Amino acid sequence: MADVALGETPPSIPRRNLPSASRSDRRFKWLLVAPAALLILAISIYPLIFSIWVLFVNYDFQIPGHAFVGLKNFEQVVSDPVARYSLLVTVVLTVSNVLIELLLGLAVAMVMARSFRGRGLIISILIVPLFISPVVVGQAWALLLQRPFGPTNYLLGQLLGQEVTIGWLTQFPYNFIALVLADVWQWTPFMFVILLAGLTAIPPHVYEAAELDGVGAWQTFWHITIPYISPMILLAVTFRLLDAIRLFDTIFIMTGGGPGTQTYTASFYLYTIGFAQFHLSRATAGSWIFLILTLLVIIFLVRRLLKPEAN
Amino acid sequence: MAEVKIKRLHKRYGNFEAVRGIDLDIPDGEFTVLVGPSGCGKSTLLRTIAGLEQISGGEIQIGGDVVNDMRPRDRDVAMVFQDYALYPHMTVGKNIGFGLKARKMPPAEIASRVSGAAQMLGITSLMDRYPRQISGGQRQRVAIGRAIVRNPRLFLFDEPLSNLDAQLRDEMRGEIKRLHQEISTTMIYVTHDQIEAMTLADRIVLMRDGVIEQEGAPLDLFERPATMFVAGFLGSPKMTFLPGRLARGGDGAAIVLGEGSTTVPLPADRALDGIGDGAPVVLGVRPEHVMRAREDAAMPGHVRMQATIDLLQPTGSRSYATFRIAGTPIVAELEAHDVSRPGEAIEVDLNLNRAALFDAATERAI
Repeated sequence: MADVALGETPPSIPRRNLPSASRSDRRFKWLLVAPAALLILAISIYPLIFSIWVLFVNYDFQIPGHAFVGLKNFEQVVSDPVARYSLLVTVVLTVSNVLIELLLGLAVAMVMARSFRGRGLIISILIVPLFISPVVVGQAWALLLQRPFGPTNYLLGQLLGQEVTIGWLTQFPYNFIALVLADVWQWTPFMFVILLAGLTAIPPHVYEAAELDGVGAWQTFWHITIPYISPMILLAVTFRLLDAIRLFDTIFIMTGGGPGTQTYTASFYLYTIGFAQFHLSRATAGSWIFLILTLLVIIFLVRRLLKPEAN
Repeated sequence: MAEVKIKRLHKRYGNFEAVRGIDLDIPDGEFTVLVGPSGCGKSTLLRTIAGLEQISGGEIQIGGDVVNDMRPRDRDVAMVFQDYALYPHMTVGKNIGFGLKARKMPPAEIASRVSGAAQMLGITSLMDRYPRQISGGQRQRVAIGRAIVRNPRLFLFDEPLSNLDAQLRDEMRGEIKRLHQEISTTMIYVTHDQIEAMTLADRIVLMRDGVIEQEGAPLDLFERPATMFVAGFLGSPKMTFLPGRLARGGDGAAIVLGEGSTTVPLPADRALDGIGDGAPVVLGVRPEHVMRAREDAAMPGHVRMQATIDLLQPTGSRSYATFRIAGTPIVAELEAHDVSRPGEAIEVDLNLNRAALFDAATERAI
């Protein structure tokens, strides 16, 4: 019985002595949370709920009134060939960007995992692109590639010994190569940093044991290095994928979606429909479709990420 | 099956010389323990034999082949690491067989060798588990299994028991000894633990500052240490060193301890080649060579003295009692009930027949 008494809350006498203090305490903690809660409510929850209403009505700056239109907004998006094409471009660009960044990042990390003179300096230089705004990166690459004033064609011409007149920002497939180039330049360091952390955490004795076991370099890479860093690879790919899917900045700066709608990504398409043509209800419907498609990818990756190590 | 010959081996890291000219012959089938304090070069020596470290000078032969420039994988040696170094993404069975698979052995042969090794080590029931699902002692068994399936000509152990708790360490120590008796392949074992060295070794190589201080059979080193360092390193509790001066008189030699308050006569048959009267010496007494006086008079070669116990550490079977001789604390290993409490004054006999005597200047045995 004595044990039970010890576990109970202390008698309520002290609390009765301070009724006003405890009540204002309780009010104070709500006060502290209120700004954040209101902010989320105002800029996140409210627009989300509002957007559900917008999905089913006419909300277009060119057509007055908000008449109920049923699923017409969805129909318009689904039947728009540009919408479907922009989704394809998004997939192609995302996959090629992330894949190239992963392979390049892994290669650089493997080199940098060894210790040599000047390693710290080289690593510092390598991660500089991460600190630059994507808009600036797009602008810089646009300047480098721009015809006829950018130096790229001139340098290629010198190298090949003949005049090069590639329209890097306007000509298929070079415009896509340019977009991938800018993205890879900026985001490979991200992969590199995460994978380097993974590689340096592998205990050296495991490699030595493999060496004595007679395990070849290729087998060591596949059976020891890759399994060791696979959680890091998954993490890096997840983060990069979520970011790459909503590619917008470099498109806006470098190609403006052009020529025509050739380099439209999903984000760029939705921006054009919503904020250039002001078909807001259509853009909202498109956003919801895009959100659901993205969610499928996210759920798959996050599940894998959260799964405890396979038994 | 191979003997190991090491000639004038040097290993430098920049300006630091970890191994400074070692000569060592290890006969085929012998269990050799490299022992010494941290930083004495014992692990470095082992790693150069494995080929994990390039040597800076000298020669290493394994089974008659000079292996100086041979890759680790071609040396046909297996190594067990302190942190086990298992492949975490493979089951126990795959861990043990991975080296054989890498060497393109037929799967049936791999399976039979793996199960043979597992049986020998009593880990058959763990074959489908992952390293993180088994205990430290089991992991070390797997690491040993990975070494023995390869049937190498030489086993190397780098402090394999240091990560285990005391009880498991005792158990695994016995297993490693039994393993050596069963497969009788040459084994080189590195440890800083003198008990492991004493219990496992056919031969102990005691290292200090990159050179061999003394090598030989465990009891040889224990009973006839060449230097004060060896004498102090082997044995627990440590040997007590009592500084003094040699006094050579007509009726035999004696040692005047400390400031001259205590004189202990040496046994008559004690050889004292070339040590003059008044020379500074150090008398080394092991705890087990001090006992409580029981007879009326001390036996030949024993010295009786009064002792007031400062500190008492019972272990159950024996008790370690600390008292002072001429100001120097000395540990005695007494019977469990010889002393009941600190502060007690008793008579003890020092057995000088088995005491060690060192030159104080060179720290070498006389």
